[in-house]
Amino acid sequence: MTTIHLPPAGIVLLVGPSNTGKTTLLNQFIQEEQIQPSEVVSSDQFRVLVSDIEFISWNGRPKDESDALFYEYQQISGAAFEAMDYVISKRCKLNKLTFIDATHLREEEHEKYLQMGKEYHVPVIALVLNISETELMRRDMERALPRGRNRIKQQYQHFKNTLRFIKKKPYRRVYMLGEEEIQVVNVSRLENPLYIDVGTGIDFIGDIHGCLDEFLEMLNKLGYKENDEGYFIHPEGRKILSLGDVLSRGPRSIETLQFFQKHVPAGLAYMIDSNHGWKIARWLDGKNVKMAHGDENVAAEFEEYERNFGSETAEKLKEQIKELLLQAKSHYIIRKNGVNAVVAVHAGIKDYYIGKQSPRISDFCRYGDSEGLDESGKPIRKDWTVSHKSSELILWGHDPKPQPLLVNNTLNIDQGVVFGGSLTAYRYPEKQFVSVKAKQDYANVPDNPLKEWERKRLAAPNIMKFLEGYSVLTEQYGEIRIYDDGVKPALDDLSHFTLPLEDIVYLPPTMSPTPKPSGLEEYLEHPQEAFEYYQANGVDKMVVEKKHMGSRGILFLFKNQEIAKEYVGREMLGTIYTRTGRAFFQKELQEKVVSALNQDLVKSGYFEKYNTDFVLLDAEILPWNLKAKDLILNQYAHVGEMALLDRYKLKNSLQQALDSGKDVLSWVQENDAGIDNAKVFNDVYQKYCWETEGMEGIQIAPFHTLAHSSETFFDKPHTWHMEKNKEFSGISRLFLETEYRIVSDEPSMKAAIKWWEEMTEDGHEGFVVKPESYITRHKGKLLQPAIKVRGRKYLHIIYGIDYLLPENLTRLKKRNAGKKQRNALKEFSLGVEAVNRFVKRESLERVHECVLGILALEAEPIDPRL
Amino acid sequence: MQLSLTVRGSGADVVSYLIAKNPNNPYERDEKGFKVRLVYPIFTKDEVQFLIYVKPDPIDLVRNSSDLFDITHYINDREFAVSSLFITTIRKALGTALNGKPDEEYLKWVGHEFDMELAFGPVATDLQDEEIADLFEPIGYKVEIERGVSTIQEKSSARFVTLSGSQSIQNALKHVSILIPVIDNYKHYFLDEREIEKLDRYGEGWLENHPLKQLIVKRALRFNALISQSKYYEKKPHIRNQDESQKVRLNDLRYEHIVNYITTLPHKQTIVDLGAGEGRLSVQLGFIEGVHEILSIEPSNKARIKAMERFEQVMKTIGYVKPQSMPGSLFYYDSRLQNIDIIILCEVIEHIEEDRLSKIFDIILNDYRPKTLIVTTPNQEYNVLYEMEEELRHDDHRFEWTREQFAENVKEWSQNCPYQVNIQGIGEDHPTFGQPTQMAIFRREEE
Repeated sequence: MTTIHLPPAGIVLLVGPSNTGKTTLLNQFIQEEQIQPSEVVSSDQFRVLVSDIEFISWNGRPKDESDALFYEYQQISGAAFEAMDYVISKRCKLNKLTFIDATHLREEEHEKYLQMGKEYHVPVIALVLNISETELMRRDMERALPRGRNRIKQQYQHFKNTLRFIKKKPYRRVYMLGEEEIQVVNVSRLENPLYIDVGTGIDFIGDIHGCLDEFLEMLNKLGYKENDEGYFIHPEGRKILSLGDVLSRGPRSIETLQFFQKHVPAGLAYMIDSNHGWKIARWLDGKNVKMAHGDENVAAEFEEYERNFGSETAEKLKEQIKELLLQAKSHYIIRKNGVNAVVAVHAGIKDYYIGKQSPRISDFCRYGDSEGLDESGKPIRKDWTVSHKSSELILWGHDPKPQPLLVNNTLNIDQGVVFGGSLTAYRYPEKQFVSVKAKQDYANVPDNPLKEWERKRLAAPNIMKFLEGYSVLTEQYGEIRIYDDGVKPALDDLSHFTLPLEDIVYLPPTMSPTPKPSGLEEYLEHPQEAFEYYQANGVDKMVVEKKHMGSRGILFLFKNQEIAKEYVGREMLGTIYTRTGRAFFQKELQEKVVSALNQDLVKSGYFEKYNTDFVLLDAEILPWNLKAKDLILNQYAHVGEMALLDRYKLKNSLQQALDSGKDVLSWVQENDAGIDNAKVFNDVYQKYCWETEGMEGIQIAPFHTLAHSSETFFDKPHTWHMEKNKEFSGISRLFLETEYRIVSDEPSMKAAIKWWEEMTEDGHEGFVVKPESYITRHKGKLLQPAIKVRGRKYLHIIYGIDYLLPENLTRLKKRNAGKKQRNALKEFSLGVEAVNRFVKRESLERVHECVLGILALEAEPIDPRL
Repeated sequence: MQLSLTVRGSGADVVSYLIAKNPNNPYERDEKGFKVRLVYPIFTKDEVQFLIYVKPDPIDLVRNSSDLFDITHYINDREFAVSSLFITTIRKALGTALNGKPDEEYLKWVGHEFDMELAFGPVATDLQDEEIADLFEPIGYKVEIERGVSTIQEKSSARFVTLSGSQSIQNALKHVSILIPVIDNYKHYFLDEREIEKLDRYGEGWLENHPLKQLIVKRALRFNALISQSKYYEKKPHIRNQDESQKVRLNDLRYEHIVNYITTLPHKQTIVDLGAGEGRLSVQLGFIEGVHEILSIEPSNKARIKAMERFEQVMKTIGYVKPQSMPGSLFYYDSRLQNIDIIILCEVIEHIEEDRLSKIFDIILNDYRPKTLIVTTPNQEYNVLYEMEEELRHDDHRFEWTREQFAENVKEWSQNCPYQVNIQGIGEDHPTFGQPTQMAIFRREEE
């Protein structure tokens, strides 16, 4: 009995003259539910679809008529094939299996489909029905529309020719079925060998490169236990998936290969094809390859092996390893509940290669996208990650990065263990990283890619990427478009006024006031609306923090001078900068404050306690006049004094007029109210000002602890950040503790509102309402990270001396915070992205594109009173 | 914003006819959304005082302005300060008096000089008290200035002015109509030719011989195009002060020196003027024979707009190569700057923090690889000849180097780069202190 093995996708070409029983055979498969009716296309079917005619007979017609009919038939057939081929190509593109029911007696038809298979990276197989000429004649007579004796004869001649060339064509398989075989043919459908079900979990392992010690330590860390037969088994049944390059460069390639040679056939592990693997496979296959880039170490290991175990054992091992390497797949697709979730590949992949196999795909997956050679003869790597659009997370290795690098839903987990970096495992579906540090730099090459990366990390960003506007892909917000009219002023600022680009690793987002104005008549803003916003968006617990009236400051403080070099490329103790990236203090004072903070942090053992080289803080720095002295004197004090002088003078004159009997009582009253308003205005701004002498009087309230050298804290709730705030206030006199409350129910909300009323009546700015989590979503939508609620008195210095007059307030309540909120979310996401990238030691350009984006968004026109 | 006028002596009560306002009823009118109010706090036969004040709508006032997105726009003194806005708004209410056209029977009072006190304010001005007094004293007033109360400033910036003297009502109003906006030095509306006519009319009879005539014309009309049209304008020969002329000369010398040097270079088809500012040097490069392309790179948009205007102006000259102004920055990598014949950093590096320079020169010499790089910067030693001590030649200079310092840094930047460097001076040579500008030329060795 013949069994036809059908690939999961591809083209099955039926071959044989009319009447061989192609359609009958396919119908039989359909009947037996071996294949689906939609998997079959036929020329007859398409002739009907395009022309309503299945067949035209011109036998026995006069010459002129038969010529005309023949011509018509040719036209119809041409159109039918064109339509059919179009459908087949689309099915190939979608990785479907298609049977083509036609005679396929001409060589160019075979060429056409083989070409199509190549183009879409799907296999083509041929199913040849070999029936004798006499039997064909007999069957034709029985047909409703006989093709006629001459045509059968003619077709059979072609068929005999076909049998000759078909063997030489690059078919995946050719099945030859005679009259008897057709009667008992069997079909087996192969699963896509690239699919892996996630099962109880997969542990993806980056490039091992013969670093067996680190790999075994990793297995131990991941919970695999060696059993009596030497198999490493996970108690939960998890499996290992190596992204390839398990060999070369490192010290113990053979043993590592043996591990996979043992575990892959046992179904406990998978190993993907890779550039070094492929090279060694071909070497073992006797091909002439140049053993370099650490491959020579593998050859040396085999020589050593042969010396130790004899040539017979060595040959056997070589054969086994060759098989392992040659059979390694270009990539795997890990599926969860039948849906593609992760694609695992060595060096890179294009979206339309996913799930397919071909030599070209294998090549791409081994080497990634390369675009010729550079001046020094090294391949220029094109960035395939930018064109990834489909929903799978693509895991890859090959190109060592200091930290796992997530870009555009692609994740690199080769952290260069063989170059002295570390071995990374990515646990799926847990999405956790496990890391094992290298015991040494095994490769010991001059162009160590990790050092190269480090060297280039702080290279000046490419301005051409930004000038015409650009997009940043953020984890929190997705793609954020930055327009050129924001970029240009931001670049101007960054070229003239800010700190060096590498010092600015974060900028704070703008903050929206309550989305709706207060429902209360005498208030523009009130806590009620802030609480309502969060409650309506499913947030039950909120952290409410007193808003200090000072200026925003970012503190980037290092453990010591030298360590800073690793992060910003030059020695310094740290820096403090404003929300626009400028130095917060004048040079001398800046140095004084930074060094005082450094001393206090060092004395308290902060850096040791948290094993960090730096701490990055988001803070409010008081008093307000430190930064805003000119604004206060030229703007607030001046305006307040002008108002009072004007109104007191008026009061005298109007009073005199009133006394002399003029009807100006309403003017007097109106002016008296104006005097009160101006007094409030003058009291308010003065509350935020006090004298400072050197560092004396300066207070810093850090309300977000953004990052340490190996982690960011965006996953910590604001209660944690407030605990840190308290911790810092105990470390240095310069640090100020921030009062806060937790709102989780009606009584705590009422208490918070009361607290707000008291503090704002006293002239304090107000408070900030935050959801408990730093990053909060509702139904997938990112929520405002914070909402400020400013007091009635404070708002005099924002909306004007007389803003509370009913005729003014009703108009001011028509404000729209929509754009402010959108920008707050974008800037927030960019800030989080910037710090995450910085801590992962990504390039300055990747960090800076976020920072530049925030500055560009800040240049957009938005009502500054919001 | 308010003004009160007090008249004493017999006939004082005529004032109500001169200004055509009933002394018994408070007057209120709406003038383009602003309230104009007038009342007589004092009205007797021998003493009359009227008060006129304007109440703008604070919310309307801040709408439609170019600085709508700057917070300082929303808290400002325009609501309170006496200004051209004030004068415009009260003009109609006081029209009869200003034009001197009361009912016929009072016409004889128009020119009558009353013993009066005229108070207005608050004023917001950059003028000193004495300077304000100097505006009014020559036309016969005694000036008193009082200040508001400040708890945060040494003295308040809000002032109130009281004039006293003997004047006709019409003249007094003409004086303040011109001089209040002059004191305020802030015009709320677009100035056009009508301003000239207004100045002509209200200035008549007192401005012609005012010792501060030129200052008044200048501050009243603000723009040279308007000022020169005024009948009060007198052209004065402009005397350049010593300092200014020296600076201008050095700038020109520097450009001339650079241009002359470039002329001698064999490779000069493409030139990049990095940190081109307003394009003063770029524009001169366009006249050098053999130059095909000039990229004028500058991060500041404001400066670039000026540069583009400058390039446009010389467009018509034959054989002139117009520089292309492009945004760019030394702190970024810019692929457009690769393999250029000449890159120029003319008076640029001293505007950059010292510790950022080595990275910049690394990019220029190793990535951009110009055939020639020209760098100029001040010679700090020469500053003594400008009678300068510690201070720098420009507010934005982050450093100024001695010749030794410059040479040291140049050496460091060009280390391990295939460049020959030579350093020259530009400007008058002093035996001890050298020349005011130093120039380093980096020439790439042929590969």
